[in-house]
Amino acid sequence: MLELKRTLDAKGHGVLEMPSGTGKTISLLSLIVAYHKAYPLEVTKLVYCSRTVPEIEKVVEELRKLMDYYAKQTGAKNDFLALALSSRKNLCIHPEVSSLRFGKEVDGKCHSLTASYIRAQHHSNPSQPVCQFYEQFDAVGRQVPIPPGIYNLDDLKDFGRRKGWCPYFLSRYAILHANIVVYSYHYLLDPKIADLVSKELTKKSVVVFDEAHNIDNVCIDSMSVNITRRTLDRCQTNVETLQNTISRIKETDAAKLREYRRLVEGLKEANVARETDMYLSNPVLPDEILQEAVPGSIRTAEHFVGFIKHFLEYLKARLRIHHVVQESAPQFLKDIYEKVCIDRKPLRFCAERLRSLLRTLEIADIADFSAITLISHFATLVSTYSKGFTIIIEPFEDRTPTIANPVLHFSCMDPSIAIKPVFGRFQSVIITSGTLSPLDIYPRILDFRPVTTASFTMTLARTCLCPLIVGRGNDQVAMTSKFETREDFAVIRNYGNLLLEMSAIVPDGIVAFFTSYIYMENIVASWYEQGILENIQRNKLIFIETQDAAETSMALEKYQEACENGRGAILLSVARGKVSEGIDFVHHFGRAVIMFGVPYVYTQSRILKARLEYLRDQFQIRENYFLTFDAMRHVAQCVGRAIQGKTDYGLMIFADKRYARADKRGKLPRWIQEHLTDGSLNLTIDETVQLAKYFLRQMAQPFRQEDQLGLSLLTLEQLQSEDMLQKIAQIAQQA
Amino acid sequence: MASLSEEVLLVVKRVRQRKQDGTLYLMAERIAWGPEGKDRFTVSHLYADIRCQKISPDGKAKIQLQLVLHTGESTTFHFANESTALKDRDATKELLQQLLPKFKKKANKELEEKNRMLQEDPVLFQLYKDLVVSQVISAEEFWANRLSLNSVEHSLSNNNKQEVGISAAFLADIRPQTDGCNGLRYNLTTDIIESIFRTYPTVKQKYAENVPHNMTEKEFWTRFFQSHYFHRDRINTGLQDIFSECAKEDEKGLKSMVTQGVKNPMVDLLSLEDKTLDEGYGTATVPTTSNSSNKSLRENSNSAIIKRFNHHSAMVSKAYTPLDILTSLFVAFQVKLQEAIEYDDLQGDSGRKTISLNLKKSDRYSHGPIPLQSQHYSTSQDIINSISIIQHEMRSYKPRLTQVMSSSAASSAITALSPGGVLMQGGGQQTINQLVPTDVQSELKHLYTAAGELLRHFWSCFPVSTPFLEEKVVKMKSNLEKFQVMKLRPFQEKIQRQYLSTSVRPQNIFWGGNAGIWQNGKCSKK
Repeated sequence: MLELKRTLDAKGHGVLEMPSGTGKTISLLSLIVAYHKAYPLEVTKLVYCSRTVPEIEKVVEELRKLMDYYAKQTGAKNDFLALALSSRKNLCIHPEVSSLRFGKEVDGKCHSLTASYIRAQHHSNPSQPVCQFYEQFDAVGRQVPIPPGIYNLDDLKDFGRRKGWCPYFLSRYAILHANIVVYSYHYLLDPKIADLVSKELTKKSVVVFDEAHNIDNVCIDSMSVNITRRTLDRCQTNVETLQNTISRIKETDAAKLREYRRLVEGLKEANVARETDMYLSNPVLPDEILQEAVPGSIRTAEHFVGFIKHFLEYLKARLRIHHVVQESAPQFLKDIYEKVCIDRKPLRFCAERLRSLLRTLEIADIADFSAITLISHFATLVSTYSKGFTIIIEPFEDRTPTIANPVLHFSCMDPSIAIKPVFGRFQSVIITSGTLSPLDIYPRILDFRPVTTASFTMTLARTCLCPLIVGRGNDQVAMTSKFETREDFAVIRNYGNLLLEMSAIVPDGIVAFFTSYIYMENIVASWYEQGILENIQRNKLIFIETQDAAETSMALEKYQEACENGRGAILLSVARGKVSEGIDFVHHFGRAVIMFGVPYVYTQSRILKARLEYLRDQFQIRENYFLTFDAMRHVAQCVGRAIQGKTDYGLMIFADKRYARADKRGKLPRWIQEHLTDGSLNLTIDETVQLAKYFLRQMAQPFRQEDQLGLSLLTLEQLQSEDMLQKIAQIAQQA
Repeated sequence: MASLSEEVLLVVKRVRQRKQDGTLYLMAERIAWGPEGKDRFTVSHLYADIRCQKISPDGKAKIQLQLVLHTGESTTFHFANESTALKDRDATKELLQQLLPKFKKKANKELEEKNRMLQEDPVLFQLYKDLVVSQVISAEEFWANRLSLNSVEHSLSNNNKQEVGISAAFLADIRPQTDGCNGLRYNLTTDIIESIFRTYPTVKQKYAENVPHNMTEKEFWTRFFQSHYFHRDRINTGLQDIFSECAKEDEKGLKSMVTQGVKNPMVDLLSLEDKTLDEGYGTATVPTTSNSSNKSLRENSNSAIIKRFNHHSAMVSKAYTPLDILTSLFVAFQVKLQEAIEYDDLQGDSGRKTISLNLKKSDRYSHGPIPLQSQHYSTSQDIINSISIIQHEMRSYKPRLTQVMSSSAASSAITALSPGGVLMQGGGQQTINQLVPTDVQSELKHLYTAAGELLRHFWSCFPVSTPFLEEKVVKMKSNLEKFQVMKLRPFQEKIQRQYLSTSVRPQNIFWGGNAGIWQNGKCSKK
């Protein structure tokens, strides 16, 4: 709280690490809301970014509680407007469209009903179907402000249904004057979307990135492009369709193609009713977009299509190679100039030019043109940025050298590029998560200067977490997932024994994480052959994460069922997988987490190597340091899934002897580190079982409110008393 | 011993026990053995006492059968008749196999039942003490009266017995043992077979199809263990494998489970992500499109194992979880959200009052709830809570049009609810019953059945696939028309003449139904 206030006062940025379940969200919300109430001119808006849809909804519910409390205490009517924004899939109420299962389908269908020219056609030809919800909204929704209140996704839908307005566009419109906006990172970080959605947010906003431990990867992902041969083939057909459409239109309606003037005037389109048109915006950040006229060589439609065709041919030729090529953006540009005489300048306009063309041609199903859009974005990106990007062309996958599958990776190596405008634009940006250790690395890789960085621990009435590092099996063979020994039979057997022993003593659910899918598959197979799995099945049911998300969801649900009805279950999962990222295992769903091995990223990947090199040259971060940091933050994520608050409890078992080393241990979050005693650094399986048994027996005792009072729970009187305030100040000092 | 009155199911001669020749008798409730030449049994076991039977493996010189009792003792019988020993033994085994499970359950059930009755009924308990404990009558006599009195209630409460789950490791329990030479031996018990059937319904189906028409039980299980299905990781070699179909079925089942999706949005990984990157963006490697071809054999078998474990666990927990628990797990998303953001230690003292466990009848506690006498302990707080939850749910209620009941069920419900249907007989019919004389009623009934029969014939011709059927349809149509002219018309006129005011209604309904069917028939014929 103190740190946060300081950050807001200074109008700077902050990095805060707080264990999950300690009320991170509510404290952030309550302070910022209070600040906003006190200084309505200093902080006008709160933008809260979270990662997954359930998390977004959770935030809004917490906010609702806070507002209810305000209303109860002050008696005043709430004049706050807070709302959540999500993709069309989660907000659509159109009966046909919302029944579609995949987000892309929903987007496409929505676009085919609401695009501006479709609506224009509807005027002349009423049989053309349009979305009546959008029509309603467009007719009256903008004039009538949405009444103050807290709107979750479902509330928005309700509201939309009652009024007959489209909730998606309603919420997109309403974020402009809402006091609090809750949405996903992408709406702010991905320049393609941010330009459409978050363009007009005021500077005096506070931005919070929750669950931000992976934010650098989100930034990088939003700026990177992969091109395969399939993309190029699809792009080819796109080009042909474009050509046909152009020639057809030319015969019938030459006037339509007169976009020439507009282009000369520098792409300043009249922005009337364009919000429904779903063309991805320019991939380049706002300050890099050129405010000048499109070069003459690509102004007419035919010329531009011809230009794209050239570019496509060139890319095809580049993919016809037999060895790996790695080059920088300027090298690529030089090469393209020499080979096919394509200049840098027209390339930079590719994305904008294509957008305008597609709009002019009134193409209904935009989803079909994703390939050509991708190519044009690549063209624009590669010609705009000369630093921080690399181009890698791989003729085949490393594992299957015989099968040609050329891929061109245009990969962003500098996460600060994407996030820079956010830091620049908003007065305070708070980055927070349960696991952000080591804290100093985030400001470095994201290239900003925080006012405060702090890591908080939990004040506990009982030690409800028990981290143990298991380094050896009962036969004293070292346990490690090190590359040289990971296929070793003894190691696999010891891992199996550890799981077996744990399955016998831990109640309800156990979650085990492996370093990768392939490693998990191998281990499961050999456990099966050795009969270890059969023995584990005597104690608990086994569920395994697969690469298929739907299958995994089912396994997860069954896992929870099995925990719920008391049978107990084990979930074998993968660090960096979907489960480790988004699913919480509260209370009995996860009484123990076992981490098999250290989940290093696949180091042989060329993209990663390029990134490491870049980090070393630009930010002076050593490769090993970064790799360990990356592995450890995933470990912390996995392990932290099981502890969701101080009433929860769980074992954390790190099954690799390398965890005992200071460089690994030191990168764990403080709230885990402080419970890691020297005595539990290199245990055998037997010792682990003994410690775990003791811990579980302690935890199984009833935990009453009185036990917490005065320690981790304060009554109002205690809070106001003088000693307690001093005590708290002391704790805060230590932090 | 009063063995004469018992029904003897099987007599096997020349059976040795403790090196003594004798005869084995299988009776309705016990198995007994008597030495040759004597008329009394030296060995006699009630079936209820027997835990299991074991047989010597095939190919052994001695053909034996061993009975293991609950007490741990065992008795071994040696079948000594050279020519038919094996047959004798198998006959005995088969019979025992059928008999034992019955008694196993019965014994436990009876005891439990008696115990329960005594504890619930203090008068009975007093009576029991007076009569049995003081040895006025024997316990059997006492219960003989009682149990028959309570037999109705008895069977009711037995139906509600809690189902026993399946051990997750039941397949692991069937440890193959080597028998010295190059063979493997599996021990199967009825419990394990039951578990297999419940977990893998497809195997049960196969069993029903093949045993005993195509193969013996033993052969079936031998094939099962040899099959690729059991050893999912091995490469499929047997083309004749009857279980390959099972594997496919299972795959289908798994797929349907997957496509059903999950009900709890908190664990649905598909809808977790808010905005996915478009294809082609991001650093993640693009998934290869041809994943089946470039995956090695080993990888394939590995993922098959993983799939199998998921399926197995899902099936086991499904077989275990009764339906009502399954549905109760599906709590509205809103409630889940609330749960997720609540800190129970921060809730004030106003939390819901707990009811301390008050065990007046500890027996009932350990045997599960008995629904007939269940009591509701709900505080007003609970009721208010549940009402608000229901209100919540109703607000977000959305009819799922894709999952309505089948048309046949719907139409049967409608007929049951329309006048004259099963459920409507009470009200409207009664007046007609009183108004219309019985002879008219019976005539109507006859007509109705006759018409029904004709229509049945008529409809059985559909779909019209052969010329013969076509002919029949035409014939039936003319028959129906004839029936209409000859029987229905006169009846209708008669009725109209006599009871013009009162009984037009049932007539109309009868007619309306008929006409509708007619039109339908004609349409579908074209």
